[in-house]
Amino acid sequence: MKYTIFNFKSMIIALTATALLGVTACDIEDIADPNGPSLQGVLTNASRSDLSLLVTGTESLLRQDLNFYYFTTGIIGRDWYYFTGADPRFTGELLGRESSVLDAAGFYGSRPYQGRYRTVKNCSILLQAVENNAQRLSLTSAEVAAYSGFAEGIQAYEMLLALNLQYQNGIRLDVSDPDNLGPFVSYTEGLAGIRSLLESASNHLGSAGASFPFTLSAGFAEFDTPATFRQFVNGIVARVALYQNDKAGARAFVAQSFIRTTGDLYAGPACYYSAASGELINEIFQSPNQSEALIAHPDWVADLEAADDRASKIGARDPISLDGLSGNYDVLVYPSLGSPVYLIRNEELILIRAEANIGSDNNAAVNDINVIRDAHGLGNYTGATDDASLLNEVLHQRRYSLYAEGHRWVDMRRNGRLGELPLDRAGDDVWEQLPRPVDED
Amino acid sequence: MKRRFTKIPPLIFGLMLVGQALLAQFTVTGRVVDETGEGLIGVSISARGTALGAITDIDGDFSLEVSGNEATLEFTYVGYVTAEVDVTSGSAPLQVVMEAGSTQLDEVVVTGLATSVKRTNLANSVASIPASEISGIAVPTTTDAALYGKFKGVNISANSGAPGGGISFRLRGTTSISGSSQPLFIIDGIYIDNSSIPAGLNIVSAAAGGGSTSNQDNPSNRLADIDPNDIEKIEVLKGASAAAIYGSRASGGVVIITTKRGQAGRTKVRLSQSVGMTQILNPQGVREFTEERLLAPGSRFATNPVHLERFRAAVAAGQIHDYEDELFGNKGSLYNSRLTISGGNDRTQFFIGGTYKDEEGIVNKTGFSKEALRLNLNHTFSNWLDAGVTTNYIHSSADRGFFNNDNSTYTMGVSLSQTPSFAQLSADENGNFAANPYAGSNFLETADQITNNEEVNRFLSGATVTAKVFTTGSTSLKLILNGGVDYYNLNTTALFPNSLQFERDGNHLNGVSVQGATKNLNTNAAAFLVFSHFFSNGLSSRTQLGVTQEKFDRNTILGEASNLIGSQTNLDQAGTRNVTQDRLIQEDKGFFVQEELNWKDRLIATVGVRGDKSSNNGDVNKLYYYPKASLAVNLHEFDFLSGEALSQVKLRIAYGQSGNFAKFGSKYTSFLSGVVDGNPGIEIDILQGNSEVGPERQTELEFGIDLGALNNRLLLDVTYYIKSVEDLLLEANVPLSSGFQQKVVNAAALENKGIEIGLDFEVVRSSDFEWNTRLSWWKNDAEVTELLVPSYTTGGFADFLGQFRIKQGHSPTEIIGVGPNPDEDGLVVFGDAEPDFQMSFFNTLRWKSFDLAFLWHWKKGGQAVNLSALLFDLGQTTHDYDDFTLDPTGATSNGVFRVNNVGVDSDPYIEDASYIRLREIGLYYSLPKSLFNDVVQLKVGFSGTNLINIFDYNSYDPEVSNFGSDELSSQVEVNPFPSSKRFDFHVIAEF
Repeated sequence: MKYTIFNFKSMIIALTATALLGVTACDIEDIADPNGPSLQGVLTNASRSDLSLLVTGTESLLRQDLNFYYFTTGIIGRDWYYFTGADPRFTGELLGRESSVLDAAGFYGSRPYQGRYRTVKNCSILLQAVENNAQRLSLTSAEVAAYSGFAEGIQAYEMLLALNLQYQNGIRLDVSDPDNLGPFVSYTEGLAGIRSLLESASNHLGSAGASFPFTLSAGFAEFDTPATFRQFVNGIVARVALYQNDKAGARAFVAQSFIRTTGDLYAGPACYYSAASGELINEIFQSPNQSEALIAHPDWVADLEAADDRASKIGARDPISLDGLSGNYDVLVYPSLGSPVYLIRNEELILIRAEANIGSDNNAAVNDINVIRDAHGLGNYTGATDDASLLNEVLHQRRYSLYAEGHRWVDMRRNGRLGELPLDRAGDDVWEQLPRPVDED
Repeated sequence: MKRRFTKIPPLIFGLMLVGQALLAQFTVTGRVVDETGEGLIGVSISARGTALGAITDIDGDFSLEVSGNEATLEFTYVGYVTAEVDVTSGSAPLQVVMEAGSTQLDEVVVTGLATSVKRTNLANSVASIPASEISGIAVPTTTDAALYGKFKGVNISANSGAPGGGISFRLRGTTSISGSSQPLFIIDGIYIDNSSIPAGLNIVSAAAGGGSTSNQDNPSNRLADIDPNDIEKIEVLKGASAAAIYGSRASGGVVIITTKRGQAGRTKVRLSQSVGMTQILNPQGVREFTEERLLAPGSRFATNPVHLERFRAAVAAGQIHDYEDELFGNKGSLYNSRLTISGGNDRTQFFIGGTYKDEEGIVNKTGFSKEALRLNLNHTFSNWLDAGVTTNYIHSSADRGFFNNDNSTYTMGVSLSQTPSFAQLSADENGNFAANPYAGSNFLETADQITNNEEVNRFLSGATVTAKVFTTGSTSLKLILNGGVDYYNLNTTALFPNSLQFERDGNHLNGVSVQGATKNLNTNAAAFLVFSHFFSNGLSSRTQLGVTQEKFDRNTILGEASNLIGSQTNLDQAGTRNVTQDRLIQEDKGFFVQEELNWKDRLIATVGVRGDKSSNNGDVNKLYYYPKASLAVNLHEFDFLSGEALSQVKLRIAYGQSGNFAKFGSKYTSFLSGVVDGNPGIEIDILQGNSEVGPERQTELEFGIDLGALNNRLLLDVTYYIKSVEDLLLEANVPLSSGFQQKVVNAAALENKGIEIGLDFEVVRSSDFEWNTRLSWWKNDAEVTELLVPSYTTGGFADFLGQFRIKQGHSPTEIIGVGPNPDEDGLVVFGDAEPDFQMSFFNTLRWKSFDLAFLWHWKKGGQAVNLSALLFDLGQTTHDYDDFTLDPTGATSNGVFRVNNVGVDSDPYIEDASYIRLREIGLYYSLPKSLFNDVVQLKVGFSGTNLINIFDYNSYDPEVSNFGSDELSSQVEVNPFPSSKRFDFHVIAEF
């Protein structure tokens, strides 16, 4: 009676199977992120090279979504239009077409804001990594000061751009812990906080030795030592002081900046762009005479004086219209994929000093105005020299000298003149500020 | 023998119940033949209630020892109706005639990783379709496209009409918010990769540069590689109650594909050839311009006299164009050739399938070609050991054009939307195209000169070894070993030569060449023990124990070159080169145990649990458990119901859990790289990782009733399910001032409830005429039941353009916008991507030598965000721009009305996406056999896909997804590659 079919081979298979059952008991090895270095590793176990990488990464992030900062401020400030068939918001919401309003989730506000805070975050990581690893890496106090001065200076600069967008909505200053962010502070407090961070950076840079323990790009060619980087930081303090209407402070800091009345007006640190391999291209650049275009606002063209050589900032093109707007000139401020975007430059410093002198030393103000006018082929200023007239003149010069560099809107706003910006279509609006991004509340 | 028995390791032994001694036994012999009297080889014979079985030999003869004095033998064979014969110890040798054809109830359904169950005993509603419905009616371009409307509870939608596919699935509703809801695809035990890998078109389209940072390259999904003609059967496990044993990967459901196998007997050769044509499914037409319209207030053509001059010149020269027709008017030719050879003897069976496909698209220079070869082998080594191997090599190539959203007006669709009919874009006699003054690109030139190709070389192979460790009269133990490999190389090539309008003369990047290489290797291995025991009281038990291991390794290298040297396309022939790399590495391990109890086919109960761990989880060695339990009650098997009018009454209930992994990388907070002036740097990523991340957990309860009447010629099944997903992973937006944009958190739960009803009716069955009809109806409702983060909008471009909102108490696919009477979020609900219901109506008719099959598919309700219409409106070229059907006051034309509502009321661009389609129709005629002496069958036929389409939607097709298979973002369209319909003529010969 054979009712079992059973042999030795199957026994072996059964044993194999039993062994296989043990497979689940084996551990799976944790796999490190194959696509990039981890935050935890850098915070707890940074090398000197990691610190340098963080500095370069920070410089790189200065450019993160920066094009949207320029598009948005330039469109609302009526420097230019951005004509594109691909997104109606550049000619719609940003100009307040009909009843449309700004969107708290709109990319034109949230992307440049997020880009700035991402740089701030990278700087926070740098500061933390320096603090955590200084002893292990035997960093000198000058080296620590250099990292701190660089990181704080960049953080403050980026927060200033964010505050320019948010204005009376205010911003957060304390963002070092992502899970426990500090409160929103008002515009005034925001400026004060940014200024004190800048001044702290400036102090650190004063004790950071003769050279940086890291390398900056060609964009910071003249600003790559603690002393010269400090001049850049002081220039930003002067800008903030002017926004605070602290003219004495502005004068004091502009004097410690890289201001040169006889120097190149375009001297200044800049975001580095290049069409070379691996590099980031300037995303503000648009090919001239295309349907996808940055169009000079007709008012800017109309108000341009005949002799003004700043006419070279625009170029005639085939007339173009979109969404009830039209123009005949492309903006050529960023004429190539490799064009730099300046953080601040000499021409602004001269104009800051001019404005800061109004009311206390109008002659000095006129002298600086003339530096600018002469440089652009306009000849000396001949108008009235009362405070109001000079302010008008400074604002006019800022409008043309700093054209398409994100200033017009901020300048008009801080002087209470947004109402003077032109409305192109019935129903358009000039916005005072961007809404607070949707996830901030 | 008994002595050896005790040597079995205690681990296994503990699971076994030792059989009882047998009283008596006898031997049954006989022969199984088909209706013509020909012996059938390989028919399975089993004695009901025992583990005993046999298989017929080369002549159809069999011999089987059974215990006791009487038994019921069951004869099963693919393609034949299952036969049952009662025998006693005194029976004479049997002659069993098996009838060709099979009813749905005869079918065996794969429910375990290693086992299957008769459909009549199934406690789940598992949908299954055979080869005749997959590739037997029309010519499916891809495997997924073959499934439209054929499964209840399955929502399939094409992401675009581009050749080579691109299809997303949703089984019983949305199962994930930020993760994937795509099902797991398993072919013959091989875990196959169904990724969609972008070709890097964003460098040109800049699609991620505006309101959406999502990849909108719209690549095809890799299931497209699988040849539908090779498929014998597709089963769909729609939810956790059926798919729990697949554990952490099964939340989106599981699609189990079984390919064709050889059968013992005569070698069959089948040759089929089809030739067809494809054309645009629903052309929109173009706006007709007049001087008055050109100069109307608000016209973008009124501001400059040049437009009027162009218009007049075009009219004078008779050069007003229908650019939609010039771009999409290609009547693509379609060729499909197919050869299969199958056969074998009682020990070895083979199947060889070869396919050659060459299909053009409706846009110039687009198309899809594929060559595939399959060899499936089965071999029986001895009465206790057999093995099966499947191998499949595929080469496919898809030229997909350049479509979908952009921020540059370089894609053909967006460019078309900006171009009026009086623009002159045609090439001159030297083949040089004029620049398009109305958009960044001349789409005719773009179509002619660019390349956007995906080329795949793929090898799939799997093997299964089944060993019967021992068999007694009442017990058996089987060991099953299974392994599979899926390896492919995908090469994407995107070439934008510097002769294009937008690349020449120093524009844009002066020529772009983007080349991607992806290597993907999935491997999986599993071992199972299946122990069956038959008790003398009619109860049988089957215990399974198994371990599984899967490894996934994908590596994509994407090279971008610009500033091309002349017409060169190599990456090194360029002034600027960038390279990126993206890798995915994952390892999963798991085990499962399952116990099935069957009492006389009356009560069938199953309980089981799967345990899984994975390197994708925060804690890589934590086991996550997924239990399941089910019960089927076959009332008709009880005496009190037998012989009644109802031939089947089954009540069933099933419960199960399954999981869904976080997207790869969710547990890491990492740096990206950035380069400044030649120096590398590290930039913190925007995703704040979660080192504790675990899988999402789905729990499904389904119950239903299956009824059969008229001797099962009429079958009705009704299923209701509640499927809830907890610990949903959200890439929750975090305050942007943190420096991050998103953080992965388990922070939501949702619930799907739905009903599925199927009615199968064999209306007529006679020798001359047969008519089978199947009516399916299904609907699903979803709700976000818990949300630990504030409600948010996602999946589109902006609220005012229409987006999805995730909000507690609302559907996760709810479409919101701006408009009058906003709710507390300042938003207005305009609809839901989820349809109200879907219905399909499938018929097969045979009259003498004619076969007709057709499938209607009705999707009722569900909205889509039609941003194509918006872009056409902004370009003032919409076909209905000048109609007056929308503005209730009658003051403004449709185009003006819609644009005026942008930012004010999102309603005009959120449209009903209902449709009724004749998905497939096939008519075949079998030529009389008497005409040939060496051909078994010669068929000729005609088939069509999407020949009739009824919808109101104001674009090419209501079935769209600009964002590919991203779960919540389907049903948003931005100038896609339009869908097409097709006609094919067939000749099929069988030798």
